[in-house]
Amino acid sequence: MAVKKYAFIIEKLPYKSETSRLALTHAIASQTVEIHLEEGESVEPVIAFVGDGVLNCLKDQKALDMYGVTSQEMHIKNALLLDLKVLVCKEDLEKYGLTEDDIIMDAEEIGGEVTTEIVPFSEIMNVIETADQVLFF
Amino acid sequence: MKLAVFVHEYREPEILDRLKAEKFGIILVQNGVYHATLKKNGQTSPLLSKEAEFYALSEDLASRGLSDDKVDPKVKVVNYEGLVDLIFNDYEKILWL
Repeated sequence: MAVKKYAFIIEKLPYKSETSRLALTHAIASQTVEIHLEEGESVEPVIAFVGDGVLNCLKDQKALDMYGVTSQEMHIKNALLLDLKVLVCKEDLEKYGLTEDDIIMDAEEIGGEVTTEIVPFSEIMNVIETADQVLFF
Repeated sequence: MKLAVFVHEYREPEILDRLKAEKFGIILVQNGVYHATLKKNGQTSPLLSKEAEFYALSEDLASRGLSDDKVDPKVKVVNYEGLVDLIFNDYEKILWL
């Protein structure tokens, strides 16, 4: 069975615009949308946070309390719950002095099993190269 | 003139250096609050080196997972009510940059 690999690359900051949220909801939805697929094909989405986009991954986002909108944290956890691959650029985290303690690494509390992977940009570049479709947010 | 400006993005508005006021306030809201907390390559935001009073909106910090204790000591954290007080009591003109 053929697998179509979709890469969702997120560079935008959260909340000021809908862009980074749309990336996550599209990535989650892409598994169930079959409009561009041939019989027997399936989709493997990969989400990668780069540049300022890594700030979408900070823990303890209170957007639901403050703005009444679902937080990026909730969407990232939903993605992990659905076993999506979530990558965060190591160099960009370091640029902001952030470590895995500062970001969302798992969705254990809602039963997620996969974890966020902190990877060098070269690995994200590899995802971009090998993806059938690249969507940049 | 007592002038306050809203900075709502994580970049520095070009006009900022050209604005002059006896009392100058920079109010960090929305994605502007990253200026108050982030150290890019170990450096605090150049915005914080301006001659100004700095404020950051607590609701926008909390929404983004940024805790008050990470806010630069130059920046005073205010909530919506505090912000309204600032606008009405401390400044005469307000600009949204």
